[in-house]
Amino acid sequence: MGEFFSLLLGAVVTFILAFFVGITYGGLTRIITARVQNRIGPPWYQNLLDIVKLFSKKTAIHHGAMHFMGPAFIMVTAVVSVLVIPVLNEGRWFPNLNFHGDLIFLLYIMTFGPLGMALGAGQTGNPNSAIGVTRGLSQMVGFEIPWVMALVALMIQYQTTSIVDLMTIQVETGTWIAFSSPFAFMAAVMAMFGMFRYAPFDIVGAPSELASGPISENGGKYLFVMMTAGSVFAFAKLTLYVDLFMGGADNLLILVIKTFALYMIPVLYGVINPRYRTEQAIRWFWGWPSFFGLLAILQAVFF
Amino acid sequence: MNTIYLLFTVLFGGAILTFLLGKLSRILYYIVFLLTMAAAVFVFYAQIRIGDTVNINVDDMQLQWGLTAFGWLFSLMVLGLGLLAAIYSIAYMKGKDRLGYFYLHFLISIGAMLGILLSRDLVSFFIFWEIMTWASYFIVVYSGKDVQKTGIRYILFSAIGAYAMLMAIVIIYGQTNSISIDDLAVNYSTFSTSLQIWIPLLLITAFAVKSALMPLHVWAPGAYANSPMAYTAVFSGALSKMGIYGMVIVFVTLIANLPQGVIIRDIIAWLGAITAVMGTFWAIAQDDAKKLLAYSSIGQLGYIIVGVAIGTSFAMMAALFMAIMHALFKGALFMAVGAVERQAGTTDLTEVTGLIRKMPWTFIASLISIIALAGIPPVGGFVGKWMLYESLISSDHYLLVILIFFASTAGFLYCYKFLFGFFLGQEEKEWEHVKEAPVMMVVPMMLMAVMALILGVFPGILLKPVDVAMQSMGYAETYGHLWSMSVLFNEWGNQVMLEPLFYAIIIVFMVFLVFLVLKGMKGTRYVTTKDISTSGEIPLEHENLTFKGNFFQPFLRAVDPVMKRQIMTYYRQIGDGLEAFFDFIRRVYSGNGQTYAIYVMIFLVILLLLKDSLFG
Repeated sequence: MGEFFSLLLGAVVTFILAFFVGITYGGLTRIITARVQNRIGPPWYQNLLDIVKLFSKKTAIHHGAMHFMGPAFIMVTAVVSVLVIPVLNEGRWFPNLNFHGDLIFLLYIMTFGPLGMALGAGQTGNPNSAIGVTRGLSQMVGFEIPWVMALVALMIQYQTTSIVDLMTIQVETGTWIAFSSPFAFMAAVMAMFGMFRYAPFDIVGAPSELASGPISENGGKYLFVMMTAGSVFAFAKLTLYVDLFMGGADNLLILVIKTFALYMIPVLYGVINPRYRTEQAIRWFWGWPSFFGLLAILQAVFF
Repeated sequence: MNTIYLLFTVLFGGAILTFLLGKLSRILYYIVFLLTMAAAVFVFYAQIRIGDTVNINVDDMQLQWGLTAFGWLFSLMVLGLGLLAAIYSIAYMKGKDRLGYFYLHFLISIGAMLGILLSRDLVSFFIFWEIMTWASYFIVVYSGKDVQKTGIRYILFSAIGAYAMLMAIVIIYGQTNSISIDDLAVNYSTFSTSLQIWIPLLLITAFAVKSALMPLHVWAPGAYANSPMAYTAVFSGALSKMGIYGMVIVFVTLIANLPQGVIIRDIIAWLGAITAVMGTFWAIAQDDAKKLLAYSSIGQLGYIIVGVAIGTSFAMMAALFMAIMHALFKGALFMAVGAVERQAGTTDLTEVTGLIRKMPWTFIASLISIIALAGIPPVGGFVGKWMLYESLISSDHYLLVILIFFASTAGFLYCYKFLFGFFLGQEEKEWEHVKEAPVMMVVPMMLMAVMALILGVFPGILLKPVDVAMQSMGYAETYGHLWSMSVLFNEWGNQVMLEPLFYAIIIVFMVFLVFLVLKGMKGTRYVTTKDISTSGEIPLEHENLTFKGNFFQPFLRAVDPVMKRQIMTYYRQIGDGLEAFFDFIRRVYSGNGQTYAIYVMIFLVILLLLKDSLFG
């Protein structure tokens, strides 16, 4: 029983951390985007205010069972991946489920949410949602290729599929994998553009033409859960990148600095870019990013 | 009487009995049919033990039937799926004509599949193989449109496979004077090198046809879609696995002893991976749910073939696990399509829409099966995929991993299309009359879906018989270093503990679901799918907001260059060429006496010209 409660405590603390970091990044992104576009932008805690507002809203309608289950599916993805991904190096954080799943498990659980959300959006019957979903899933097939190539390259090179092992290797050798396997890092970062869905890959939830796509039929509590899941999941993904490629982090401050620096790559790339159509986006991911992924595998096999 | 005879007596006798007694009263069809299936399951699992054998001497040939642990593993698919499909078919076939015809061939094909699993010699293997092919052919042409074309394609490719197999058997008999499979394994290393290569290739051709390996797959979409869904579940779930069964035997007993075997392994594995990718692409492009699942079956069998062809103990375990998982979830999905077909009257994904509230149980069964098909944890499909990836990576097949992963991710698209097409989206007046399928159809589906879920958390239940079967094929024991009841290990010792992950997933899911339902149900009202945000406009009752056509157009545009090339064009060209050739030959017989007189003249002239060299 004690084990269960320590697990629960770890889960709750990690969740809260992920939530606050994720939500703050969301707010900061809005400021940065605004400054680039020569606006002032909202305060950094705007997303937090939004989420409190959404939470306190009363819901008037519902669309049926799958509509309820959709946001819960996304939450599963967000929470389970944040529990499986180690937060800090050398067990300085709660162990959570770090030793229970490996990279391939993570790859699959990360796709669970989008599919669940797509199903939830499906039941609302909004055609915009369905269009957004087809674009989103297609784009996911696009960026998963370089992403998997990068991960497979790491697995080959270091003969492990465990995230903890990869972190330990970096601590022991003192070199970031980003430097020892640069092509894998490049492919992974380029795949990240698709993962975070900033421009030019934001056609999935295009606000003006699709009424935000898959989430268009969700408000109040639904959107609250979705936004929370989005923040937690963003933190999870960034931490995963830091764990895999940037030597992990010894304490929370370093983690925040590293993840924020990483997060700025898709954000800043996004603010200066227009939008790709879906098939252009897919082909983009199967172009240079996949080429780098291939180089990464070659490097892992031959060097 | 030996119990193996008893089994065949029950199945084939029951088949004929069903056919005959059913003429008296319709209800007898159902009763005798179900009793036969149940009796066969009882006889097989209660009376036949692994290791039982029986010898039959025909002339100077010795036929041998017996049950191995490996055959027993595959019998789970044949009889398990067969029994559930039989129960399902009672409700599904209600009101259709020629029931006796259907049940007769259903039972014969089940019997023939068991015959294949029990055959310990090549001749009875071939005979049962042909019985299976013909029985399934008769069901393919049972009903539906384009029956003739589909049937001819199926039987033509099956014939190619059968001839290949027959040729291999004749060569083997000529070499060793024995038809026993065990003797073949022993004698194989004494063959000449070219025979060592040709025999497995011929056999693999035969098995590849049944398991729809590209480029021999063209019969499959039509045949799967055309059979009644009650049979397609067995067709795709169990019958196609007979190809896998044969392939495993070829790879383990023959190619493993071949020095050049690595090349054959790689070729077949690559064909399997290409099949997986292209099967997935074509599944995405389909608008008919039956065709979609048919192509998806082709793709899924591609994964299994990759595992079999790589053939390390990990890969083989993955393949066998996936084979059984595929039988479970694809069986359930074909049954769900059958349920929709029966209740709504069509399986066109662009027509049927919004059935979730009308057929909730079918939806739940489909949802779990689709999650299994997509390979998402915590349902069983994940376990098989995980093992396959790990085995490919640790056996240095890196590009195959990428291809397989690509196929698997692209698979999400058709998974979503299937669920969205039938169950989600706009609810329309046209489908208001649709009711949930009868209990006898829902229960088998749900059973299989729940089974898939359980195997996702405790794969050890299934990995244990898989392990035993593999040990009987000569592999080392894998328990403890590759798996235990709910933990999977890869060859580097990394692990996935499924049980705690499953509980975590369920807890998180339930917490937020309860939160949403508590907050969302109280004081809220259900609104129709017309009552949605459409940029301030209020859609009227008659306005059609359904988005179904060209569903994954952006994706299909992106992969257009690959899909332009279809193997069917080449087959058609070969067919046209042959037709032209035969047409030319036909012209020789013009029916005109004068032409024939010229032939005689020409022949005599040639004889005269060559008389010196011919008659000296």
